[in-house]
Amino acid sequence: MFKRVAIIMLCWVVATISVATAQERHYDIDEVAVYGVRPIGDIGVQQTKLDSLVLKETISLSMADVLAFNTPIFVKSYGRATLSTVSFRGTSPSHTQVTWNGMKLNNPMLGMTDFSTIPSYFIDDATLLHGTSSVNETGGGLGGAIKLSTTPANYDGLRLQYVQGIGSFRTFDEFLRIGWGNAHWQTSTRVSLSTSPNDFKYVNRDKKINVYDEQMNIIDQYYPVERNKSGAYRDLHILQEVYYNTGRGDRIGLNAWYVNSNRELAMLTTDYADDTKFDNRQREQTFRGVVSWDHLRDVWSISANGGYVYTSMAYDYVRDPGNGTMTPMTRSRSKINTIYAKAEGKYFIGNRWLFTANLAMHQHFVESRDKNIILQEGNKAIVGYNQARVELSGVVSAKWQPIDRFGISAVLREELFGTQLSPIIPALFIDGVVSRRGNITAKASLSRNYRFPSLNDLYFLPGGNPNLRSESGWTYDAGLSFKVGKEGLYSLSGSATWFDSYIHDWILWLPTTKGFFSPRNVKDVHAYGVELKASTSVQFAREWTLSLDANYSWTPSINCGEKLSDADRSVGKQLPYVPLHTANINGRLAWRGWAFSYKWCYYSERYTMSSNDYTLSGRLPDYFMSNISLEKSLSFSWADLSVKGTINNLFDEEYLSVLSRPMPGINFEIFLSITPKFKRGK
Amino acid sequence: MRRLLLILALFAVGCMEWDYGLEEDFDIEASARGLFICNEGNFQYGNATLSYYDPETRKVENEVFYRANAMKLGDVAQSMTIHNGRGWVVVNNSHVIFAIDLDTFKEVGRITGLTSPRYMHFVSDEKAYVTQIWDNRIFIVNPKCYEVTGYIEVPNMTMEQGSTEQMVQLGKYLYVNCWSYQNRILKIDTESDTIVGELEVGIQPTSLALDCTGKLWTVTDGGYDGSPYGYEAPALYRIDPDSFTIEAKFEFQKGDAPSELQLNGAGDTLYWINDDIWAMDVTAERVPVRPFLDSRGTIYYGLTIDPKSGDVYIADAVDYTQQGKIYRYSASAELIDEFYVGIIPGSFCWK
Repeated sequence: MFKRVAIIMLCWVVATISVATAQERHYDIDEVAVYGVRPIGDIGVQQTKLDSLVLKETISLSMADVLAFNTPIFVKSYGRATLSTVSFRGTSPSHTQVTWNGMKLNNPMLGMTDFSTIPSYFIDDATLLHGTSSVNETGGGLGGAIKLSTTPANYDGLRLQYVQGIGSFRTFDEFLRIGWGNAHWQTSTRVSLSTSPNDFKYVNRDKKINVYDEQMNIIDQYYPVERNKSGAYRDLHILQEVYYNTGRGDRIGLNAWYVNSNRELAMLTTDYADDTKFDNRQREQTFRGVVSWDHLRDVWSISANGGYVYTSMAYDYVRDPGNGTMTPMTRSRSKINTIYAKAEGKYFIGNRWLFTANLAMHQHFVESRDKNIILQEGNKAIVGYNQARVELSGVVSAKWQPIDRFGISAVLREELFGTQLSPIIPALFIDGVVSRRGNITAKASLSRNYRFPSLNDLYFLPGGNPNLRSESGWTYDAGLSFKVGKEGLYSLSGSATWFDSYIHDWILWLPTTKGFFSPRNVKDVHAYGVELKASTSVQFAREWTLSLDANYSWTPSINCGEKLSDADRSVGKQLPYVPLHTANINGRLAWRGWAFSYKWCYYSERYTMSSNDYTLSGRLPDYFMSNISLEKSLSFSWADLSVKGTINNLFDEEYLSVLSRPMPGINFEIFLSITPKFKRGK
Repeated sequence: MRRLLLILALFAVGCMEWDYGLEEDFDIEASARGLFICNEGNFQYGNATLSYYDPETRKVENEVFYRANAMKLGDVAQSMTIHNGRGWVVVNNSHVIFAIDLDTFKEVGRITGLTSPRYMHFVSDEKAYVTQIWDNRIFIVNPKCYEVTGYIEVPNMTMEQGSTEQMVQLGKYLYVNCWSYQNRILKIDTESDTIVGELEVGIQPTSLALDCTGKLWTVTDGGYDGSPYGYEAPALYRIDPDSFTIEAKFEFQKGDAPSELQLNGAGDTLYWINDDIWAMDVTAERVPVRPFLDSRGTIYYGLTIDPKSGDVYIADAVDYTQQGKIYRYSASAELIDEFYVGIIPGSFCWK
């Protein structure tokens, strides 16, 4: 089926190319900024911005995929369309705070964010705030924070775009965007639907198939070629945006994002169950809505946001006991209602001082029902918890640039979670231009930070531990950056940052002698290292543009707590599942309507034991991953078209991100994009 | 451009290196005594392992299943039992029981089609019971042909709350403790494969043992704070199997978590874990005041007594994410040996 569709599409492409004019792709090489015009709001901030070219690369990419190939942070993926978490600088996923249009995305029950559920096509602006820099945005980002947001599309008239992707393993990705706009109004509706049985083939090296003789003696064994079992998914996202700009300094926005996800949880490579007898599935429905108002004046601005989140999660693990009826073994339900409000103000004194303040409130109402049981008396009950928690976070900052070449910023944040007040969270930033030649800038920052336990940490039944302490840490970083170039010819920029942080009372969920897991404050961690970034664009011949972005991070993350007992060999060792080295390179070569991209990433070996011992059953060797794509854009009088082919895992590498979770080998996807031109189309 | 392509090609080299396919030949002396240690591994990570310890030479071999078979043992190695010169390793979340040769550790067969197996008990060469969690049935299997042949359905138990655990047999009757959100001991007629009696004990009986006087012992963990099923002080129970009634109850402090009830070879001394290691004569009328062995920051997770020498083997899970450690003590609590095994050593099996 897939081959037939691919052939039809190929014929269509060839026929179309012959009658179309090439649509030029523009990869602008920016003029290098004159020193001293660094935004006063970004004094000393270590950040990585992802441009729209990266975010809108293909509709099938989740934010987890984008972050893995374009940033120095570590993405831990349990498989395709499966839980993917990210962590900065050797910390844990719950130490990464994530916001969407100012509102927290971290699940209040789990404390972390699943980036596999965020389609990159729904994000217009993504900024990573490394370490201390997260204090400007939110508290609790012991590793850092990720700001995701949508922006007005700046349409003039009606605009429509449709993208269809067809890929290996009967994967279908569809994306539709309809928008309309004028000088005051901008509206946009985005819909994306991704479906796949996700049953890729792989050689299972973790198990063998037995061949028996008539006396049931094993006469042969072999590693089976298996399909990824129980890995199907269907993800629907709808995003509605409406913006109104008065043109006199007031902007009002509405963003509403609906998610409907139905995902099977893939079987482990070591599972011998008959997948037709079991069903292991997670369903999610989430609505997020944010209303925002910005009031801008020459020297001051205020803004107010209000929002609401509803999430319903259902996890079912059922099996057929032999009568043809799937019977629940685990039936878990959770509902989260969150009310959000935020007010923010900025005030400039001349162009040397900037004062900011904001106060954000998240009120969570959580209902967790984990198990239905029959009590000793014979009546029924549900194991779970109902909790509400208000989370207040307030911050004030003063930023000062006494001279063009130097800036200093002080931030004070305070948080209240329930009845628990955090100590003052201070952060200090400085930066300065070291040399005008090469725009060499030095940055440094220092902060103290806290992260409150999640609601599951405190209340989950069984195991929740209401006596947990907040995690706390000191972080500092210092770095140099440069940028050189000539507009229209080349640009070259780079940065090197040293970071160092100590995190105390690290929370881990561990088994108990009662047969369930429970969280405890068990570790003190020293995470330090280096982040290197480099970026270049060159127009080396007429209409030829080459751009390269590279990231590398070295992240020792060392358990420096006390030994739990004499037998404990984890002290002084790298934390499990935190790679020491992470690197990626992203190259793009463009010529007229053609664009070729090569994406490469590398993770060094990850330990699976806290003692860093090597075992046969627990090895996660290092791996390289290479993806390529080729795109042809065409422009007709009636529409812009593009056809794109991608090859993922180009070298068909057998690799693992997490133990016993199979990953797909080489796979392909073709995308067809059409953007009709209406009369006033932009 | 050529240089660029060359660099790109270099990046592609050096793919993930695997050490699969190599099978190691073991040849343990058939008559030699030995101790198998089931290391659960981390749930959902498939890193369970099997270790083998020779008490005479004090030599330990780790990951023997992987090394002998060039494949993983699976996810959560729950227990092991030996019957007729074969070891049967129950791998809970892999839904499989592996039969292995005791001298070479090579697989000789496997039973699949299970829900979530916990323990295996042989009634005869051709019949064994397999208890489950998340299933209200005890599976009947034929080990000779590695097939599930039937079920014993437990009344008043749903699949979601299903939990049958350890088994001991006295005559034709088999006794089974029901643990998770349960409070009973079942009595099963092994000839008819039917439940002929139930005895209510405290909340969540974790383990079961049969002493030299023919009395059954079980210990409960009392549930947990906030459990709708109840939360109470755990207790050690002595049960008369004939009348199937509780003879004695020894209560612990609320919040304690006693588990891993074991007997020495003579069957006259009970051992269990309750943070520390405790020992008690089966005829005693009260629980001792002082433990057999103090906890020293250790996380005691598994326990066994050498049926021949009376040496006490204690498994320390350390931090649950590194190799666990086994301490071997004499019956008078003197340290004889200590060695590292796999992640979360939870159960033992004597050869």
